[in-house]
Parts: sequence; C-alpha cells; structure tokens
Amino acid sequence: MIKAIVDNLRGLWSLLVGLHITGRFGLGPFPVWLGLKEPESGYPQLTTHYPWKTVDDADLVTFRGPLELVPSEEDPRRSKCVSCLMCVRACPSSCLTVVKGGQGKAPAVWLNDFTLCSLCGTCVEVCPAGALRFSHDLYWVAEKREDLVNDLLARLAGAAPEKARL
Amino acid sequence: MDISLLNVIKLLLALLAIIVLLVLNSVVMVWLERKAAGFVQRRPGPYVVGPHGLLQTVADSVKLLAKQIVLPGSSDRLLFLSAPVLAMFPMFLIFLVIPYGPWLTGLEVNLGLLLILAFTGLETLAVIAGGWASNNKYSLIGAARCVSQSVAYEIPLILALLALAFMCGSLDLTVITEAQSGWVWRWNIFRQPLAFFIFVITCFGETNRAPFDLPEGESELTGGYHTEYSGMGFALFFMAEYTSMMLVSFLAAVLFFGGSNGPFINGFWWTFLKMGLFMTFMIWVRWTFPRVRFDQLLNINWKWLLPLGLLNLWVTAVVLKLF
Amino acid sequence: MSNLFVNPFHFSTISENPADMLGDFYSLNFEKGRVDPDSMILNLGPQHPSTHGVLRILAELHGEYVLRAEPVLGYLHRMHDFMGQVKTPYQFLPNTGRVDYLHPVAWNWAYCGALERLAGLEVPERAEYLRIICCELNRIASHVMWWGAFVMDLGGFTPILYAFEEREKINDLLQIVTGSRLTMNSMRFGGMGADLDDRFLQKAADFIPYMRERLKMYDRLVTGNVIFRRRLEGVGPLDEEICRRYGATGPVLRGAGVAYDVRRAEPYGLYDRFDFEIPVAESPDCLGRYLVRLREIEESLKIVEQALARIPAGPYKHPKAPKVSWKPPAGEAYFAVEGGRGKIGIHVVSDGGKSNYRLKLRAPGFSNLSLFAEAARGTLLADALAILGSLDLVIPEVDR
Repeated sequence: MIKAIVDNLRGLWSLLVGLHITGRFGLGPFPVWLGLKEPESGYPQLTTHYPWKTVDDADLVTFRGPLELVPSEEDPRRSKCVSCLMCVRACPSSCLTVVKGGQGKAPAVWLNDFTLCSLCGTCVEVCPAGALRFSHDLYWVAEKREDLVNDLLARLAGAAPEKARL
Repeated sequence: MDISLLNVIKLLLALLAIIVLLVLNSVVMVWLERKAAGFVQRRPGPYVVGPHGLLQTVADSVKLLAKQIVLPGSSDRLLFLSAPVLAMFPMFLIFLVIPYGPWLTGLEVNLGLLLILAFTGLETLAVIAGGWASNNKYSLIGAARCVSQSVAYEIPLILALLALAFMCGSLDLTVITEAQSGWVWRWNIFRQPLAFFIFVITCFGETNRAPFDLPEGESELTGGYHTEYSGMGFALFFMAEYTSMMLVSFLAAVLFFGGSNGPFINGFWWTFLKMGLFMTFMIWVRWTFPRVRFDQLLNINWKWLLPLGLLNLWVTAVVLKLF
Repeated sequence: MSNLFVNPFHFSTISENPADMLGDFYSLNFEKGRVDPDSMILNLGPQHPSTHGVLRILAELHGEYVLRAEPVLGYLHRMHDFMGQVKTPYQFLPNTGRVDYLHPVAWNWAYCGALERLAGLEVPERAEYLRIICCELNRIASHVMWWGAFVMDLGGFTPILYAFEEREKINDLLQIVTGSRLTMNSMRFGGMGADLDDRFLQKAADFIPYMRERLKMYDRLVTGNVIFRRRLEGVGPLDEEICRRYGATGPVLRGAGVAYDVRRAEPYGLYDRFDFEIPVAESPDCLGRYLVRLREIEESLKIVEQALARIPAGPYKHPKAPKVSWKPPAGEAYFAVEGGRGKIGIHVVSDGGKSNYRLKLRAPGFSNLSLFAEAARGTLLADALAILGSLDLVIPEVDR
C-alpha cells in the first residue's frame, strides 16, 4: 500500500518532468522573438522552411538529383557523350533512351525517364567518357507524367522547358 | 424566476452570445492547439493561411462545411445524423449558468453546479449514439469505452465538487465565486488542493483528451467513435470536444481559481484569462504524454481517485464541523 | 449447358445478413477458426495507423481482449528475390536499399558481402571503415525512428518529431557519403561508391555528443514516464523459447535475454576490432526490448566514435573491383549482417551466368512478425498493438 503510494507519487513527478521538457521546447521560439536569445540552430524550428528558405548548396555537393549531361570543355552547350550506349545497357530500370546520329559521335536524342529512374548511379559509373553526373535540382516538380521525361540534351543547351518551381 | 418579456429577451441574447462564443472558441482553440503542438514539436505549425496561420481554422471549417456527409452502408440514418447535434446541443444550456463576471451570467440558478454535472453526461449519450449508429467495429469499441470511462470519472468529479459545495454551503456558482473573493489565497485551489487534483485528472477523462483519449485512441481504433464521420458531422464532434474543454476550463476558473476575482480589478476578463490558461495546460498535457491503457484508466479512477475523493469529502466535513 | 440457365442475379453464397457478405479469403478462413461464438472479428489494416505500412491483422476480439490474431502479408510484395535473378548483380544493387527503407545500408552490405564472398573479392580497409560508419549511423537512425513510432503507437505523438530531428541530422551525414536520404545505395562490390570528406568527419564528430545529450532527454521524456512504463512492464513477454521456434533475431531476441548479435557471433567486416557491448534486457517484455534498442544506440555511437578516430587513408574501392558488366564466378555463398531489426542473410547461388542463378533474402522482420500471432493471444487490444510496435516491423522488408 505504502509502496504503491510512493510509486504513484514518483510517477506524478515523472509526469512533471515530461511536462518540463515539452514546455521548454514549446516556449523555445518566444525568447528568440523577444530578442532575448540568439536564433541558435533549432529555434523556432529545425527543418528548412521550404518555400521561404531552401537548402544550402554546400549541403548538396554529393546529392543525387535528376541526371544531367556534363558539358564538354570546348562548347558548354554540347555534351561529352560519345553515344556508346553503355549506360542504356547498364541501367537496371531501363529509363534511358539514347539515339545515335548527332554530329560526329554526339547523340541525337538523350532522354531520361525520371518516373522510372531510381538514381542508383550505375550509368554515371559506367560512362567511359564521364559525360553523366547527378544534378542538384532538388525542387523539380512536374504536373504531368510526360513532363518527367527529361530531355537532357535540351536541358544542356539551356533550352529546357522552364522548370515549375513553387 | 418570473417569465417576463425582458427575461426572455435576455435569455435569448445570452444564448446567441454563447453560440458565438462556442464557435469562436473552437476556431481559436483549434488554431492554438495546432500551433502549440507545432512549437512543442519544434515546427512552425500552421503558417500559410493568414498571419501565422490564424485563418487556417476558418479555411478548414469552410472545407468541412462543403464536404459531403458520407453515410456508411447499413448505418442507422437517424441516429447517425443526430449524434453530432446531440453532442453539441446540451452545451449551449450549460454555458448559460456559468458566472463569467459579477454582472455576466446568462441564467442565475441556485443549482448551477448540479445542472452542469447533469448535462455533461449527455455528451456521452451522443458518443454512444454515434458509435452505435456508424455500424463500424472501431466506433462501437470507442463508444463502449466512452461509456465506462465517463461513468468512472463522473463519480470522483462529483465527490471533488461536493467538497467545494460543502465548504461554500451552496451549489450556486455565483456564491462559490463570491466565497473566493478577497485575496489570492482565498481561492479554492489553496483551500481544497486535493479536490483540485482530482478535478484536473477527471477533466481529462471527462473531455476525452489525452492521456485519456481512449474513445478516439487513433493508434488502436483509427478514430474511435467518429471513424465514419465526415464533413460537418465530424466538425460538430470536433467542436463538441473543444466546447467541453472550454466548459471544464471555465469550471476550473470559477470553482478553483476564484472566477472573476483577480489580484486586482475584478471582472470577467479574469475568468476568460484563467479559462485560456487552463486550456493551454490541457493542450500542453496532450502533446506530452502517451495514452493510458483502458484497465489502467479504470484502476486510476476506482482505486485511487474515488477513495481520495471520499477522504477529501470526509476531511472537509470534519473540518467544517470542528471550526 | 445447364450453367447458362442459372439465374445470374442469384448468389448462393451470400446470406441475407449484410455483415456476412463482407470478407475475403483470409477473413472467411479466419472466421472458421472462431474460438468463441460471441466474439467479434476485427480487421486491422492494411490501412491502420498502428501497422506502419500495409500490414493487415485479423483479430478475434472478446470485448477488448484479443482471443486470436493472425497477420496477413503480401500487400507490399515486390519479388525482390526474383528481381535479383533476372538482373545482373550490379543492377540489383539499388534494390537492396529498397528492401528495408529504415536500414538500407545493412542490406547493401549483406548483398555486397555475399557476392564478395562468392567471388573472393578484397575490400580495402578504408572502405570497411566507411561501411561500418554508414551502417552504424543508419542503425541509429533506424532505432531512433522506431523509438518515435513506438511511442506514437502508445499514443504520445510528440516523440516521433524529436526522433525526426536526429534522423534529419543522420540523413545529412549519410547524404554526404551515399548521395541520398532514404533508399541509400552506396556500396559497390569491392568497396564503396564514394569517399567521405572532412566535412563529414567534422559533422559526425559533432553529432556523437549531441546524440548522447538527446538520449538523456529521451530517458527523461519517455523512459521515465510513468504512463509509458506501466503500458510496457510485463506486457508481451517473449522468452528465448518462442524466439528460437520462430527464428526471431535482433533486439527481439536480445530482449529475451540472449546475447546473440551477428556482429559478434560471426564477425564480418572489421567488427572484431571494435570495442562494444551487446545489450541484453533484464525482462523479456516490451520494456526490455525498448531498453535494448536505446542501449544499442549508445553502443553504435561508441562504434562510430572509434571508427572515426581510427579510419585509415587509402582507396575507398579496390583498384581491381569489378566493373558494372561483371559476371560472378559459379558457386554459392551466404552472408549475414546485423540489421536494425535482426539478422539479415543473403544467400546467392551463381552458375557463372550474367545474373544470379538463385537469390534468397532472409528478412528479420518476417521471422519477428511470425511470433505475433502467438504473442498477442489473450492480450488487450492496446497491448497487442504495443507488442506489434515493439517488434519493430518494416513492412517492405517483411513482404520483400
């Protein structure tokens, strides 16, 4: 009986401890707003408040965004791709379409179906010419399924359709 | 009470004011709840609609109003549709008798406390009706839980409030408020701390709020008694929850925190301020604790609160007799 | 011919009671085994807040008591085993990250390890350290997520968002190495896909003391909480015997008091060089499993700390590592790693062809879930869901 009472009193204390923790977090934003505290990381919030803020480019160095072609040294509007089709053969999800027939070895068509792509990076690794890389295009959205088929040559040439950004 | 034209007009005006109060309360409290939850969880909460999301609830209620009320197959139509109304309707009457300020009471009755306790039970009826009529197993379990929960919690609640009534010698809320006038330590929370403790716990049980939100219990029963409700039916149940929250907060303010008596310049603003603080406390608790299990809930009540309430009542009676 | 004249609007199997019309193969089959004629059969899931995914549980209830429960699987079956047999080994690599979305690095490792063992490939030391760092960080993220989700199962909503804070930080770290935040696919046969940089080392060094502080907060907010403790103490005891019968591994088995951990029992990688303990619960109930996981986070932090201090310079991938078009030699190999949920085993058989001849994935979640039917018998509905939560199920892994 006495043990049960002591247990319950301890339990009530633990409830107060819990309230203290959540209360401290809950009141966190107020000192910052009142100018009493520096807006240290985390107050009032920890995550990136997306439409108002975006992620730092420094945090995206290794991020795997949708594929893009690496521009060649001579002409930044042209890719390094030599149309060897290694990537097409290596792709586990068959999301690449490369058609030969550009000037010299350059491809005529280079499509990446982003609805299928799993960003595994096999194509990037297999490419003998180093013509592929991951972009850091974090906020790419599309309204139609067709819009997700990325024309990488057009994108490289800077004529890619205006990306819908929120 | 004489039934004169003036009284009737006054009553109608009071009812109108109460409807406005309840709707406003729901709108503000839903925003506050979401915002407080956001702050506790270190996110901004509603942010986009209006400044700091103030109009979010308005937008949500417009959406809920416009939504179709889906009737589940083989449900009891009449009960299903009337349950949300039944949950909301008795609330209007209860708010009539609460003394918001010295001159601000809808209907002065000398059995105010009794009336409130009697009418709060009606919400349970609505929950049973809704849970039964939905023809859904989750709703049924939720309704069954609600019944045993409110039966369990109303007895200690009444015992705790009875001790207050003993002390003040009246069931009239105005008299109880006046008895606490003077200075802060005349508030009942200092004179009846045990009763206040029981009252706080039973509040959460009565209003089906976490950690006693077993009738809803979304991790077990998906939505409990309102699983099948959509649109305005759901909104009314939601409103009823916030209204009963406001009710117990007003009760706490009036019965334990001296009602309209403040440290300085008495007036209705004190009642509302105390009510708001108590509601914030309820929100704070909700976003901190996990849910208790059903048998534990009944244990807390029958094995701890009921004896405590009886003890408190007995001690109060003895002390009153001796001094 | 007589079939033509059957009234098409007459369904003989449907009775007049509309409640009997409902039900598919599983629920009708389940109903046949009714223990109690007055019981109620409740279908939890596939969409239910507590099943965390698309697990479905059929439960026979008497009041709030669960008389019988039966998990129904297969709502997220994607044939990963078979995909491993039609794709080349390299092409299957991204799949491994998708089997268990909370601990993808361990699956990566299991698959790479199996093929490395099959072909006798060497892994450079730096790559081994990188694997350990990634795997342990990912294990912390997995356990932390479980912690939040478990408390949410019990009705406390706030902890899961605190858990997400830690997960975000770990994801920021792992993103530097793996490039992605969820279905990580960073390992390659014979090493890693990418190296880490100084930024990673600095961030990781900052993370370890931060996480230790947060663990103290977890203890005060949740572990010490009286409501939480009473929900878990003595609930769902799973002893050594039931774990053995169903093949449960990981924290479930360690919660039963058996100090079995693949990292110690059959050391892989360089785990035998690290100093860490294998936490074992004092009581085999839900609280025991909970405490085991929290202590495992601490042990993982210890491993990460040691690995960061000792990581050698060198290549992150063996110079003779196989290319994308690699064909493994004929043979067979089995490789097991310790995942967040238990023993992950991959058995690969190759006939020297382009793709694996046979691939078998052993998911710990599947074995752990199997004991649920027995463990839930006779418990309250809320307790049954607490037991389900304490098993730490990831449905994609269970169904594969």
